[in-house]
Order: sequence, then structure tokens, then C-alpha cells
Amino acid sequence: MRRAAPIPVTVIGGFLGAGKTTFLNRLLATATARYAVLVNDFGEINVDAALIERHDGTTLSLSNGCVCCSIGSGFLETLGRLLDGGERFERIIIEASGVGDPWRIAEIALVEPDLRLDGVIVLADATRITELIHDRRVGDTVRGQFAKCDVVLLSKSDLADEAALQAARSAIQTVRPDVPIDVLSRDTRPDLLLIARSRRSRFRAEGVEEDSLDHEKNFKRWTYRRDGAFDRSRLARAIEALPPQLLRLKGACRVSGEVASLVFQMVSSDWSLLPATSEDLDPAPIALVGIGTSDLPSDADLEAILDGALARSFVS
Amino acid sequence: MSQDTVVFAARKIVTMNPSRPFATHVAVRDGRIVAVGDEVEIAQFAKGGAFDDRFADKVLLPGFVEGHSHIMEGMMWSLPYVGAGDRRSPEGKLVAGVGSIDAIVARLKEAEAAIGDATTPLFAWGFDPLHIGGRMLTRQDLDRISTTRPVMVIHASFHISNVNTIILEQTELLRATDISGVVAGADGLASGELQGIAARFRVFRALGGNPLSGNLTLADVMRYANSACVQGVTTITDLHNDLVDQTVDLYRTATTQPDFGVRLVPALASVSHSPEQAIAKIAALRESNNDKLHYGIVKLVVDGSIQGFTARLRWPGYHNGAPNGLWYIAPEQLPQLVETYHKAGIQLHIHTNGDEATELALDAIEAAQTAMPRPDHRHTLQHCQMADAAQFRRMKALGVCANLFANHIYYWGDSHYELTMGPERAARLDATGTAQRIGVPFAIHSDAPVTPLAPLFTAWCAVNRVSSSGRKLGSEIEALTIEQALAAVTIGPAHTLKLDGMIGSIECGKYADFAVLEDDPLAVAPDKLKDVAVWGTVVGGKVRKAPRA
Repeated sequence: MRRAAPIPVTVIGGFLGAGKTTFLNRLLATATARYAVLVNDFGEINVDAALIERHDGTTLSLSNGCVCCSIGSGFLETLGRLLDGGERFERIIIEASGVGDPWRIAEIALVEPDLRLDGVIVLADATRITELIHDRRVGDTVRGQFAKCDVVLLSKSDLADEAALQAARSAIQTVRPDVPIDVLSRDTRPDLLLIARSRRSRFRAEGVEEDSLDHEKNFKRWTYRRDGAFDRSRLARAIEALPPQLLRLKGACRVSGEVASLVFQMVSSDWSLLPATSEDLDPAPIALVGIGTSDLPSDADLEAILDGALARSFVS
Repeated sequence: MSQDTVVFAARKIVTMNPSRPFATHVAVRDGRIVAVGDEVEIAQFAKGGAFDDRFADKVLLPGFVEGHSHIMEGMMWSLPYVGAGDRRSPEGKLVAGVGSIDAIVARLKEAEAAIGDATTPLFAWGFDPLHIGGRMLTRQDLDRISTTRPVMVIHASFHISNVNTIILEQTELLRATDISGVVAGADGLASGELQGIAARFRVFRALGGNPLSGNLTLADVMRYANSACVQGVTTITDLHNDLVDQTVDLYRTATTQPDFGVRLVPALASVSHSPEQAIAKIAALRESNNDKLHYGIVKLVVDGSIQGFTARLRWPGYHNGAPNGLWYIAPEQLPQLVETYHKAGIQLHIHTNGDEATELALDAIEAAQTAMPRPDHRHTLQHCQMADAAQFRRMKALGVCANLFANHIYYWGDSHYELTMGPERAARLDATGTAQRIGVPFAIHSDAPVTPLAPLFTAWCAVNRVSSSGRKLGSEIEALTIEQALAAVTIGPAHTLKLDGMIGSIECGKYADFAVLEDDPLAVAPDKLKDVAVWGTVVGGKVRKAPRA
């Protein structure tokens, strides 16, 4: 069954005072696509009055096509209403609570077929993050927010000297040695597409928290990259041959006869090939990431199955 | 226009008024108490010397005050109940507990058979694995009810559910065990237990909605009032509500009906408003207060629950080594919130389960009191389950009240002993004895529908301090006497709601609100306190016999 292309979701996390609202205000004011932005505190949103077309107490409609919805206490209800509302948005941006775990929200986009997780961005106040990470009361909360994010953006960098910026980077790297850390400068426009591209993988199922050892043990990742293109009917047969231990497979691919890249998604035995939005483009023509149970067959076995789906002209 | 005075003659009246603790007659006019005393003292108020002696063999207590419960109690009963303990429905029906997987399946099969079509989802509530020997309810168990109809069982905690295989297939969650909260079974596939918001969102969207998050109806409010009557409750809270316009309209409509059978005290949820909005909203809501509707308090939620490992604990944390819980309000934000409300004269009810959350709340109140001393603010810590004696001494010094979750001792006491707090700290769980000795004004509560609405059972928990497996938790030092426990379900909670001038005891001038009991709770053995039968209530002088279905 072919569904409408899922809407990309960006989750914005970060502790209280990290600058999420400022970031969102700038996103809304400079949007070049139709964003739906879900925020915790409506009162803090401050866009140019000239941009506001309608304000009904819980939803702000802007002349650039964006809307901003107040989450209040009913986040799930607000998101559900947005999806059922019939209005089509190019991206949904969700502000996580300052003490919340953005990954918990991101997971909604992993399981909801109308949504596609595009990235988790965590903001950190460059002048405070070093102290917050070690704070007796909130250190665990702050560290947890970095655990599965795709990129960290250091805010308020103009208030921090080079040493403080370096300390902030080091502190974050003690929690996530592998995470890209960028400095958010006051005058650059936040570019979600660039941020999304900076991510190493669109599909992260591996755990990075200390308590996820069991998780690591129980699951196995598999990456498949090829330069060619799939043949559509061979691909359908190959997917049937994939072992049930492979739980999910996701990524971008080329299919012979199609000009543009497509997004491939498979969950259990259901799969789809959908047109890619521009930010789905990956340098490799075929780049898929799979996750399976610990008894997943070897990479070579799995590769053999998908290699059988490659269009002949590409097999040398 | 004044009505005639009615004098009720009872077997015994336990007034909870220390200056006149016991009586046999009470004179009532215009919904309020004219006088309390013995036959000779009250005879002059009886019209023509005639008494209303319908309570001649009953015992009257002040109407019970449930200081922490939720309107959801009125919504649950449209769904089948599958908890292990007996509960009484709003219709007064004793719904037997189901103590095994087989019994749960049998009850759900019965409910399934009663649904006309083949696709409507079947929801049930009240399940807790702790009370059926820790056995999990699996998707395979629920598949015995139906493999084609969605079946979902909501746990007593409301944070966890179990679903059958068809739901997992429809939502593509069967293999999604990499999502937190999609619990894996022995076969590596989802077991059917779902915990997190991602799974909840997916399932309710797939099933066409959450049966418990729809708009409140008048029938729900009436069921809530009926449940109160069945349990002898004459004042009830709804301790966390966004109070959207539709709810406000409904509460106004319900409480102004002349026969509405309970006084309702809603608390505005801070989370859905900025403090400025909330303060303005409370001022506006107070305008619609009437004798059965009392707006004024604001609820803050600082942490999660102990049994869910989301409560914030001080060092050394959870007994089993689980990571510390979650802040629902940032620690640096709480002092600002508390100070803003405090300065605006609002009374706060602050949910703190773990002792680190309690510490933070006390720090915030101390700062607010220092910035602007405010006599008799009565900010109340709700649940406050792990507070130690030092924290109770701070509460006393700061003028803070506590509403302790006595029912937890019975329902989760074993879990606290074994997993969350360990033997030593579990003994001070809901430390009613310490609160009593130190002199912190306190109440005890059910948090219904999380645990059953039944103040006599709640009092029983505080008197006996026994867990569901029969383990005593700190009973030598923390148990209350029956008198103290009855105060903690009458005048105690009335004090925490700042309504003790009008309710909570039977004395001249107060509302004529009584719990009508078949026996004298002061005369029964302490372990039989929960078995004292409730005949009904009197609310504002109106007698209502509890329904018995």
C-alpha cells in the first residue's frame, strides 16, 4: 500500500534557557517552506506582527504559510489534531520541554507512518552547559537530552570566550564523543536542511546511553551501500527473501527508470518507495540502513539478497 | 427563604469537633447545621418536637473529604474493570476483582461478546501485574479474547497498557522493539506491553482515539458525584485540570443543579498556563464559585511516580539502582513559579512524590516566604510520599500542609520495600505518624481512579499500614489511631482546601454534610475499619441513600 509521503519531523531539544524559543522565532520568521511548529509556551513566541495573519489563542497563522501551535498540556492531542487537520505541511518542528527527553518525541516520528524523523537538534547554552552537565539536580536530565541527538548547536556563543566554547564542546563530548557540535551564531539563518544533511545516518536505532547495553546486545545493525540502481520488480522479490530477523530497513536509493532518488522504508514485511524531498538526497545512489535481531544473518548473506535486486546494466 | 428546621436523631454522631466530640442529634436549616447535641439540648429546634429518626440506627460522621482525586474516576466506569481488588462502581455495584490472567480473560470475553459489531475496540482498565503475582499480561493472553478485534488493557497507573496482536500488527509495532516503551517478549517480538508516548500516539491514532481523553460529559460528572455518595464523600477534588471552557461550563451546570450530590474543588493545572494566565483565570473562575463549586487552587507537578521510577529521589536514589526519575518542572523554574503564585495570594498544591522533589518544593516555598511572608498560605505538598522527619519539620516551620498517599502502602508497599526504596525507607512511606507528631496539618488520599475512592479504606491503610502481601510497613511508628485517621479524611483535607470553616466537622454554622454509616468506626477492630458499610450521605441537608446495584 502506498501512502502519502510522510512529513519530515525535526525535534528541537535543550534545557531550559538553551535558546530554543529564540531559535524557533528565527525559524518562523525566515521560513522558506511551510512549517508547522509546536511550542510549549506560546507567550514566548515573538514574530513580527506584520507576519501574523491569524491568532486564535492556540494557533498562530503566518503569512509565509507557517503555523505555530501551542502544546499546552496535551502534546499528543495537539500533534494528532495537526495531522488530522487536512492541511499539508512541508515539515513539522516540535519543541521538546526544557526538562524533557527529545528522543521520546522523536520516536513518535519513527512509528507513525504519516511522519518521518528527520533530525533531533539539541541546543546548549555555551555559557552554562559545562556547569549544567555536572549539576547535582539536573545533570542527568541534561546529559540524557544529548544521548540520541543528531547535532548539538551551541547558543549564546557571543557571550562565551574561546575557552568557554572549548569547555562546552568538551563537556558535551564526554556525554557524546561522536556528536557533531556547531556554533549557532546570532546572524546566520538556521538551515534545517543543512543540519539534516550533517547527520551521519537518518535512522539511528543503536543506543548510546550507558543503560542501553542490553539494547546493543539484542540488536544488530546492517548498512548497505551500492553505486547502482535497483530494478523495481527484482527489488520486490528480493524483499520477500529477506530474513524475518531484519526488522527495519530504511534509506535512499535509485530505481532504474526513475530520474530522482527515492526513499525506501521497510518495517516488518511492509515496504514503500516514495519520492524523496530534496534533503533526502544522499551522495551514494543506494544507501540503506537496517536493524535486526541479534541473530541477523551475516552482512554478506544480506548483501547477496539485495545485490540480486540491482538493475543488470549496473552489474559489471 | 428559610426552610423548616429538621432534627436528625442518630445512634451516634462523631463530630470531629474537639469541643463537642460526640452527639446524638443535629438540627439542620437551609442546608447548614443549626445545633449539635443530645436530645434535650436539641429538642427546642424540632418543629412540633418531632425528630427525623431515619438515622436512628446509623452513625453520622462529617461527610468525607477526598483531598486528591480526579474526574477521570467518573469516566473509567464506562469500560470493564480488570483490577485485582474489588471496587464499587458509581451505581453502587461491587465489582469483584479479577485475580488471575484467566479471570481477566474471562471477564474480557464477556465484555467482548456484548459488543454488537466486529471491529469496535475493546478497552479495559485497572490492571496491575503486582497484584497477580507479577505476571505480565501478554498479547497472547489478550489474543484469547479476540484475534480480530483490537483489545487494550490500561494499567491502574494509566501510564502502561497491554494490547493484543492485531493492534501490534495494525500499528506495525510488533517488531518495533527498538522504540522505548515497546517491550519485547520472550520471542523477540513486542510482548504487547506499551509504555511510552510514541506507542501511545500510534495506537490511539490507529484505533480512532483515546476513550479517556475525549470531552468530559455531564454523565461523567454525575458518575463522579455518585461514586462520592457511594463512599460517603461530600466534598471531592479534581486535582489537575486544564479547566477549558467546556469543562468550566459543565461544572457550573452540574453544580447548580439543586440535587447535585457533592461539593467539587477543581485545581487548575499550572502546566497548561503561564502563571499570569493562571492567576487571571483563577480570579475569573472564582466569580462562578457557588456552595458546591470552589475554584481557587493551582496544581504544580514537580516529578513523576515512585513505582514508575520517575519520582526524583535524594541520594542514594532507587534501592534497586534504577536511574533517578524525571523533573516535570525544571528545578530552576520552580522557585519563580512558586513565588509568582505565592505573591498573587494563590494556594498551591504541589505534587512531589520523591524526597528530592519535596526538598525542591520546600526550598521554593521558603524562598517565597522569605521574599514575601504570607500568613496561612497553606501550600500543600501532594503525595509527599518519601518525606523524612527533617522535611516534615521544615513543613511545620514554613506553614506547609501535606496530603499523604496512604493507599500506596497497601497497593505498592511491597514494590517499595523490595525495589524502589528498600526496607528502611519503605517504613517511612507516607509518614502519617511523623506528620501527626510534628504537627504538620495533613490529610490522606486515594488519587482515584489510580486507587479506589473510599476514605474508610484510605483510613484503614493509615491505621494498619499493611501491604497487599500482608507486610507491615513502619506500623509501630507511623500508624495512626482510628480517630486520627478519621480526622485525616474529614477536617484534615478540609484544612488543606481552606474549606475547614465550612466543612470537615459537624458543628454549628457549617454545611450539613454527613457520611451516614451503618456502624461506628471508632468501635470496630482497626483491621475492620474498611468494612464499615456506607449507607449514603447528607449534603447541604439533603439525604441521599447510596445506590446499590
